Amino acid sequence: MMMMMMMNGATEAELLLNCTNMSFLQLQRDHLRYHHHPGFFSNFSTINGGESDGFLATTGLNIPDIYREKTTESDAILSMSPENITTSATFVSENLKKRKLDDVVTETKVCDEKRMMMRNKAKKEENNFSNDSSKVTKGSQKRDYIHVRARRGQATDSHSIAERARREKISERMKYLQALVPGCDKITSKAGKLDEIINYVLSLQTQVEFLSMKLAALNSRLDFHIDEMVNSVYPHEIVSTGYLHFNPMQQVITSSDPPLQCFNNGQAPSMWEPDVQSLYSSLGV
Amino acid sequence: MASADKPINTDVPEKDVFTLHFLQSLSNLRRQNTFNSPEKTNDRVKKIKKAAYVSMARAAGGTNRLWSRALLRRAAKENSKVVRFPRRKKRVTCLRRRRSNRRDPVEEEEAERLRNLVPGGGGMETSKLMEETAHYIKCLSMQVKVMQCLVDGLAPK
Repeated sequence: MMMMMMMNGATEAELLLNCTNMSFLQLQRDHLRYHHHPGFFSNFSTINGGESDGFLATTGLNIPDIYREKTTESDAILSMSPENITTSATFVSENLKKRKLDDVVTETKVCDEKRMMMRNKAKKEENNFSNDSSKVTKGSQKRDYIHVRARRGQATDSHSIAERARREKISERMKYLQALVPGCDKITSKAGKLDEIINYVLSLQTQVEFLSMKLAALNSRLDFHIDEMVNSVYPHEIVSTGYLHFNPMQQVITSSDPPLQCFNNGQAPSMWEPDVQSLYSSLGV
Repeated sequence: MASADKPINTDVPEKDVFTLHFLQSLSNLRRQNTFNSPEKTNDRVKKIKKAAYVSMARAAGGTNRLWSRALLRRAAKENSKVVRFPRRKKRVTCLRRRRSNRRDPVEEEEAERLRNLVPGGGGMETSKLMEETAHYIKCLSMQVKVMQCLVDGLAPK
């Protein structure tokens, strides 16, 4: 049962783009799925309330130019009047019920599924309705997926639009990595940045190796201090009965022992895993 | 609202967690008989290194992260089997899945190198790989800080 929503110029490109954004939206939808219906509606209205960018922004995709293109078509898609919300939301909730909750959705799978739906609808109805049905398919599910209008002068090929979305995802990640790696912002080319990141990871790994060599050399002193150190990381926590007799000494140890000062952040970790000892022994370290 | 960090979750626990796990693994190592012998420093180095990585993987979120999962799996395999499962096979089976999003040969060359570095990188799409790299970098730098602290503390005055 499909809702008739007015949409013009929908192409398969949008359908495929929807598929590439599945992962984010699947997360969102899964999140929303567990809400009770009124809650679902209210989530919906807050997401779409007022601004057209609200829903798109929550998915976290940084594709502003495409979405903010001001055509009448895009306005019709992006801005929703309140009376449409309830009717479309009923449809969406029905649609959600149809899908299994434990569906392992790969992107290609969803694309195939939707293409099948499209094809079936096209076969059943007349040809002059086929455009409407494809619009309907996307229109009814447009609450779930992001629509992209191809910009003027760019290919509307489905593959290229999907490629573009993917590239922008990757560039977003690249910006994040750039903030992490020191010295990466001075390089403009993407290849250079990737090189820098790879070099940084390599250098970190060699540092670990080098420090482990140093630790191996300091093995004898490690023996002497290790138990005290383990206790000082947990100044207020009773690790096991074996450590109980160290507790009275802790106050003295933490203040006087230089090796321990860099560990003292004064914070106790939030969780304690009793089986971590067994894990380490099973792994042979 | 549309911040770049929103979908990317790279929270790394405090230094305490890392130190605790590392110290625990070191104390376990100490209990092994072969560990304290004055010869065979290379074995000791390798064991310490492995302990560092495993404890880092454990501290950083255990099996919640792909790279830590792969690291732990690798460590477990090294104990039970002599021959390590070659990474190449893993990548081939993933390529056979034919995810259409992994094309673009220009990027793939560099992504390949990153996959070699980050554990568990063979089965990931490029964007996911970069997320994992970011988290891995954070955890590695934290582990390096911890080890540096330890070495500085233990160094002869």
